[in-house]
Amino acid sequence: MNQDVVILRLAVRLLYPIILLASVWLLLRGHNAPGGGFIGGMTAVAATTLLALSASSQAALARLPGGAARLTSAGVLLALLSGLPGLAVGAYMTHLWATVPLGFTELKVSTVLLFDLGVYLAVWGALGGLCAHAIDLDEDTP
Amino acid sequence: MANDESPATHGTSRLGWLALIPAAILLLAWWATAGGERIVVAAWPWIPSLGISLAFRIDGLALQFILLIAGIGTLVFVYAAGYMAGVKQRLRLFGALVAFMLAMLGTVSADNLLLLFVFWEMTSLTSFLLVGFKHEKAAARRSAQQALMVTAGGGLVMLAGFVMLGAIAGTYSISGLLASAPAWLDHPALPLALGCVLVGAFAKSAQMPFHFWLPNAMAAPTPVSAYLHSATMVKLGVYLMARLDPALHELALWQWLLVGFGGLTAAWSMLLALRERDLKRILAWSTVSALGTLTMLIGLPGTVAPGAMAAFLLAHALYKAPLFFVAGNVDHCTGSRSIDDLAGLAPRMPWTAAAAAIAAVSMAGLPFSLGYFAKDLIDIARAEGGVFVWVGYASLAVGAVSVAVAAVAAVRIFWHRSGRPVPAQIHEAGWAMRLPPLLVGGVGLVFGLQPEWLAPLLDHSAVAMGGVPPSTVIGVGTIGLDGMTGVVATLGAGIAIYLGWDRLHRTLERGFPLIDRVGMVAHYERMLKAIPALAGWTTRHLQGGRASAYTLLAAGSMGLALAVAALLLAPPAAPAPALPAGTAPALVAIALGAVAALFVRSSLLLLLASGLVGFGSAGVFLFVGAPDLAFTQFTVEVAFIVILVAVLLRTGATRESVAVPRQRLHELARASIATGGGLLAAWMVLAGLSGPADRALSDYFAATAVPEAYGRNVVNVILVDFRAVDTMGEIAVVAAAFLAVLPLLLALKHGKKETTR
Repeated sequence: MNQDVVILRLAVRLLYPIILLASVWLLLRGHNAPGGGFIGGMTAVAATTLLALSASSQAALARLPGGAARLTSAGVLLALLSGLPGLAVGAYMTHLWATVPLGFTELKVSTVLLFDLGVYLAVWGALGGLCAHAIDLDEDTP
Repeated sequence: MANDESPATHGTSRLGWLALIPAAILLLAWWATAGGERIVVAAWPWIPSLGISLAFRIDGLALQFILLIAGIGTLVFVYAAGYMAGVKQRLRLFGALVAFMLAMLGTVSADNLLLLFVFWEMTSLTSFLLVGFKHEKAAARRSAQQALMVTAGGGLVMLAGFVMLGAIAGTYSISGLLASAPAWLDHPALPLALGCVLVGAFAKSAQMPFHFWLPNAMAAPTPVSAYLHSATMVKLGVYLMARLDPALHELALWQWLLVGFGGLTAAWSMLLALRERDLKRILAWSTVSALGTLTMLIGLPGTVAPGAMAAFLLAHALYKAPLFFVAGNVDHCTGSRSIDDLAGLAPRMPWTAAAAAIAAVSMAGLPFSLGYFAKDLIDIARAEGGVFVWVGYASLAVGAVSVAVAAVAAVRIFWHRSGRPVPAQIHEAGWAMRLPPLLVGGVGLVFGLQPEWLAPLLDHSAVAMGGVPPSTVIGVGTIGLDGMTGVVATLGAGIAIYLGWDRLHRTLERGFPLIDRVGMVAHYERMLKAIPALAGWTTRHLQGGRASAYTLLAAGSMGLALAVAALLLAPPAAPAPALPAGTAPALVAIALGAVAALFVRSSLLLLLASGLVGFGSAGVFLFVGAPDLAFTQFTVEVAFIVILVAVLLRTGATRESVAVPRQRLHELARASIATGGGLLAAWMVLAGLSGPADRALSDYFAATAVPEAYGRNVVNVILVDFRAVDTMGEIAVVAAAFLAVLPLLLALKHGKKETTR
C-alpha cells in the first residue's frame, strides 16, 4: 500500500522528528506539567507507528535506537539503576536532586529524570517494536 | 520379579559414607536420651501474621522417632551402598534419601501444625521419587503415582483439618493445642476437623480404606522399602495420632475411630498377606497390619496403651527392617522374590539366614524377644482398655498370621527343601548388605533380653503421650500362666497357618476376585480414569477454541459477579455528579460507539466502534481535569487500534464477518449480556461515588508532592517517586510481554514468507 500514499510519506518525513521532539518535551516537562515518561514514550510510539505505516516496518524498526529489544532492555535497566544512588541516603528508589548552574539559567538534574527516561525508553522500545512488527504482518497479505 | 540391577553383586558404592549423617544424628539423639527427660524447644518467626512459626519441640515421643529415623537410616545408607553399587543413577537415589530423612526429622520435631504439614508433604514428594526410582518400568511409575495420590492427597485433606483445628483451638502450635485441650473439646466442628486430620494420617499409615498403596509401593528398591515402608514414613500417621492423643484420648469418637479402623486394618491386611507369593508384598501386608495395631493402641483408653504403643513401634521397626533387608538380599542374589521359587537357601546364604532367624523370633513374639515384651504390654493395655473386648480376639488371629509370616521369611525360604537343587551360582551378598540386617536384628535381640535398658527411651515416649512409664508396669507378675497360654495358642495357630499356607492361598484366590471388583483398588482405578474424562469434558465444552465463546463466558461471569456485588452494595444515594459542558461531544461519541458495537457485523467496524468509546473516554478525562490520563488514553488507544487492525488483516478475519453464529437468539443473548454488564458497571460506579470517599492518600500526595518530591504534577510524582517501584514492575512487565511476543511475530512473518514462496 505504500506506493499510493506519497503525501503521507512526505508528511511523515517532516512529522517524524517533530513528534519525537514533542515526545522528549513531554518527558522533560512531566514532573511539573502533564506529560512524563509513559506519555512521552507513547508519543514516540505514535511516531514509529506513523513511519511504519507510511514507509515500511523495517525503516521504522531501524530508527529505534539499538533495535526494539535492546532499547526496551536498556530502558528497564536504566530505571532499575536509577534507584541505586538512593541507597546511599536511605532506601532504594529514594530520588536525589541537584541543581547545576549554567550561567544564564540553572538546570535541575535528578535520578527521577533518569527513572522517567527509563520508562520512556522501555515503552518506546516495547510498544513501538510491537506496532511496527504487527504492521509488518499485514504488509503483503494476499 | 527378576532383579535386573545386580551386575555387581559385590562391591560397595562410596556414597555409603553418607551414612555418617544419620549416624551423627543418632549419636546426638542417644546422648540426649541418656541425659534424662528434657524437652528441646526452638522457634523462629516465619509468617507471624498467620501465626505460623518455625517452631520445633523435641520431647520423648519425637526423640524415639528421631532415634528410629537416624538409626535405621544409618544402616539403610550402608545397605544401599551395597545394593545399589552397580546402578548408574544411584546418586539420585542417595540424594532423595537424604532429603527424605531430613523431611522426616522435620516432621517429628515440628511444633506447629502447618510446619508439620510442610515437612509431611515433603516426605510424600521424596517418597514419590524413591518409589518411582526405576522409572523406566510402567509398574514403578504407576505405584509411585498411586503412593503420591493417596498420601499427598490425604495430606491435603489433613491440611483442611489442621486449619479447622487451628481455628477451633485458636492456635497452630501443637504444644499450645495440647495444653488448652479441654477447653475446645466440645466444639461442634471438632468431629469434622478430626475426620479430616485422620484421613491424612490414615492415608499415610495405610489404614483402611487407604491400605492398598503400601504393598504396591514395593516397586521401590529394597533399601527404600526397608526405610520408608517399614520403619519410618508409614509410621508418620501413627506419630501424628500419638502426638494429638493426649488432648483427644477422652473423646469416645476418637477412641472408636482409631480402635475400629486400626483393628479392622490389622485383621484384614493379614488375610491379604496370605494371598501373596512375593516375599516383599507379604512383608508389606504384615506392615500394614502392624500399623493397624499401632493405630488401635493409640485409640485404646487407659494409661498403659501409650507405653505399649511405644514398645511395639520400636520392636516392629527392629524386626521388620531386617526382614526387608533379608528379602532384598534374597532378591539380589537369586533374582527372585517369589516364595514359590525360593527354598533351601540357608547353606548358600548363612548370614542372611541368621539375620532372618533373629528378626523372625521377635516378629513371632517368642519369649525373651523384644516382640514378646511389646506383646506383653499390649495385653496389659488391652485388659485395661475395658470396652473394647473384641480387640483381643482380633489380635489373636493377627498374632497367628504374624507367626506364619515370620516363618515364611525365616524358615520356608532358607530351610525348606523343595526337592529342586539350588542353583550353584547363588552365593551370599556382600558385607554392606550382610551387616545391616544382622545389626538391626541384633539390637532387637539384645533389647529383648534386657528390656530394662529401653526404660529411658520408652518411659519418656510414653509420658509424652500421656501414659505411665512402661517400666513401672512390666514385670509385675505378668508372665504368668495366662500369658503363656496366649503365647502357646498364638504359636500353635501360627504354625498351622504356616503349614497350610499354600492351601489357604488357593482357597483365598478363589474367593478374592469377587471382592476385588468392589475393593478400594477398583475405586482408585475408576477415579484415575474419571479425572481425565472430566478434564476432557470441560475442555470440550468450555474451551472449544472459539474466541467468541471464551469472551462470552468471561463477560458473562463478570456480569454475574457484578450483579452479585450490586445486590450486596447499597443503591446509589446521590444523583450522578454534573459534568462540565465540554464533555458533551465526548459523551455522545461514547454512546455512539457503544450502540454501534452492538449492531455492526464487520470486525474492522467493530474495532473502530470500540475505538470511538476509547477516544470518547479520553475526551471526558481531558475536560474533568485529568490531562495525564487523557493523554495516556489517547496514545494507548492509537497503539491498540493499530495492533488489532494489523492482526485482523493478517488473520483474514476482516474478509468474513465476526465469527459469531448467525442465529438471532445468540445475537440477542450476546447483546443483552453486553448491555446488562455495562449498565451494572455504571450502577456500581454511581453507588461507589455516593459513599464517603477516603481522601487520606490523595491529600497526602497532594500535600507532599512539591516539598518532598519537587514536582507539581502529582500524577507523575506518584508514578516516578512515591510509587516508583510499582512503575518499575510495570515497565518490566511491558518489556517481558514484548520480548515474549517478539519471537511469535517473527515466526509468523517467516512462516508467511515460506508459504508465499
